[in-house]
Amino acid sequence: MIPLAMLRPGETACIKKIVGGRTAKGKLTNLGFVTGKKVKIYKSSDGPLIVGLGDNRIVIGHGMAHKVMVDTEGCEN
Amino acid sequence: MALNKSKRKDNQIRIALAGNPNSGKTTMFNELTGSRQHVGNWPGVTVEKKTGRVSYQNFSLEVIDLPGTYSLGAYSEDEIVARDFLTAGDYDVVLNIINSSNLERNLYFTVQLLEMGVDLIAVLNMADEAEKKGIIINKEKLGQMLGTPVVETVASRGRGISNLLEKTVENRDLSETALKIDYDSELEALIGEVVSMLKEFGFTAQISHRWTAVKLIEHDPEAVKLVEREVGVSKAKKIKSLIAERELKAEDDFDNIIIDKKYEFINKVIEECVQRPEEGQEPENVSDKIDAVITNKYLGIPIFMAVMWGIFKFTFTVGDPLIGYIEAFFAAAGTWIGGLLTGAGVSPLITSFITDGIIGGVGSVLVFIPNIFLLFLAIGVLEDSGYMSRAAYVMDKVMSKLGLHGKSFIPMIVGFGCNVPGVMATRTLDSKRDRIISILINPLMSCSARLPVYVIFAGALFPNHASTVVFSLYALGIIMAVVMAGIFNKVLFKGERSHFVMELPPYRFPTLKGVFIHMWEKVGAFIKKAGTIIFSVVVLIWVLANLPLGVDYASAESLIGQFGQLAAPIFEPLGFGSWQAASSLIFGILAKEVVVGTLGVVYAAGEGGLRAALQTNFSPLAAYSFLTMVLLYTPCIATLGAVKSETQSWKWTIFTASYLFVLAWIVSFIIYQGGKLLGIGV
Repeated sequence: MIPLAMLRPGETACIKKIVGGRTAKGKLTNLGFVTGKKVKIYKSSDGPLIVGLGDNRIVIGHGMAHKVMVDTEGCEN
Repeated sequence: MALNKSKRKDNQIRIALAGNPNSGKTTMFNELTGSRQHVGNWPGVTVEKKTGRVSYQNFSLEVIDLPGTYSLGAYSEDEIVARDFLTAGDYDVVLNIINSSNLERNLYFTVQLLEMGVDLIAVLNMADEAEKKGIIINKEKLGQMLGTPVVETVASRGRGISNLLEKTVENRDLSETALKIDYDSELEALIGEVVSMLKEFGFTAQISHRWTAVKLIEHDPEAVKLVEREVGVSKAKKIKSLIAERELKAEDDFDNIIIDKKYEFINKVIEECVQRPEEGQEPENVSDKIDAVITNKYLGIPIFMAVMWGIFKFTFTVGDPLIGYIEAFFAAAGTWIGGLLTGAGVSPLITSFITDGIIGGVGSVLVFIPNIFLLFLAIGVLEDSGYMSRAAYVMDKVMSKLGLHGKSFIPMIVGFGCNVPGVMATRTLDSKRDRIISILINPLMSCSARLPVYVIFAGALFPNHASTVVFSLYALGIIMAVVMAGIFNKVLFKGERSHFVMELPPYRFPTLKGVFIHMWEKVGAFIKKAGTIIFSVVVLIWVLANLPLGVDYASAESLIGQFGQLAAPIFEPLGFGSWQAASSLIFGILAKEVVVGTLGVVYAAGEGGLRAALQTNFSPLAAYSFLTMVLLYTPCIATLGAVKSETQSWKWTIFTASYLFVLAWIVSFIIYQGGKLLGIGV
């Protein structure tokens, strides 16, 4: 598992775990960062990331993107 | 549920709209209520509360628009407001507005409502977008699985609205049993224990005990507070320690299990009710293509600048000719009414009150309706099209250097319209530090109330460069905001970066109706302000200009002249040490438009005459220095009120009022004295 923040544009991964406090976790869950969901990186540079969760596009800061642990193997177990 | 209904007549129904941001909730509200809307605040907080009315058959429906939220987790004030309303239960039925093309995430909110026992109708809105994406939803099946009526709508085109109203009336006495999600044996056992403890301790709140138990297990602070209130702190502690004890033994965090189980249910619903095109078969995503350009590393900021410049140009090029007409109207009205009154033998004092005071003062402010109208039109389009959140992303690079993140930029753009909603919009920021800094710098965003002052001065003293002068003031405001944010970040707060996650909604064509309603609301507020606050201040100024009895109207000996003379020395080094300028600035704190109104009175002139008066009393340099002062100095009372209610602190309010005055003085001083040294515009 690696943090979402480490992925490069174009890569997809499977969300495995959300770490962090109640508020951070709650905000991520609200926007659809949930275990077992596929996430795709659209943009990642020095600024925040733009990621895709299904049809949704989400801007996520680096700090928060470190709280989303993903597996680059994808979601097929 | 809904046990707490207040007494209403049989033909009156109270409905609430609840749903995710970007689900088309506001569009639905506009579509249902049209222009019969009332905007106020939820009690005790500054969250905007919109209510409206609609008649259908023989029923009168009161529609309440709850803040758009992703969950009922109480992560923000908006969510708490929505949740408090729903737990209080004083409604007949909730319309849960769901974005059909984004069912999964929207259902996360729906499931939470259903678990709470909210009686709702699931409104599958944006059905056209779902269709375009090739998503097919089995409504009957969905209704069965959720246990709710389901209605399909396209609010943006008014489709399905009458069907929705019909279903609403039909289901006005809906009484659904709360949805029960199975949280697995270990957690279910704990829930059971907590529920019986709540019963034992005499927890009598109207909310479902099971729901409260689940919330307690999630460590929801609002639920903890509620239980502490109901059963006392020591008994609540017993429940908390039971939960803590079990959590230690458990393999996974309880809140993770709760989230996963909710999603398990949602996934099952999706699997059985929704057909999607195969992966790779979906129609291409237009928003992604636009975003590739708009959020491009190199193009993002230039595009943003161009958009801002475009809005600015639009506001002025279209607005200015219109201003001319209104100006001419008020000038003619003043002369005509003045002549009429004099002819009728009315005393000169009263004639002067009506022509100089009311028509001159209020008229000089109302003249700017076209600009304000257009500015809010542009801001409305920015908001509704989805560009606003892209601007936040693009500006993150700049903002992060100041220790803020991109989301802090949205309140700043809103501040161009008016600082009061600008200050209120900081509520979407989650860290206290980000909020305070954003509130402190918001008044530096040049609001529409300052526009009249710029326009009249620019027209009088910089006739050939008017729009450049006005634009430079806007730019100066932004620069000062950036500088101050940087300073506050270094001096006042350190460390602590907040959680930055934000949705980029798909681009949409703003609906004409939505933008117009938004605009009417703001222009209506402006006219109301002109009719109340500005009118009263103008009357007050006229009275002060006539006292003590027997003085020449608005002369240096009148009360207003004396006030002005008292304050004038402060402004002397800035190039405008006249008592007229000083008094206009003092009264400008009541409302910035009043600066023009006061000048109109003290130079005893209507609109056209004021221009000439300014030309003789201000050098271009002094005028620019004066405008800088107007831009930067102490914000109006309404803004200070918003600062007070948002920060909950007099300290920050007084700080805002005073630091801005000092800043304004320093910058004006540099401009005037610097300009004089260089010999520019003297």
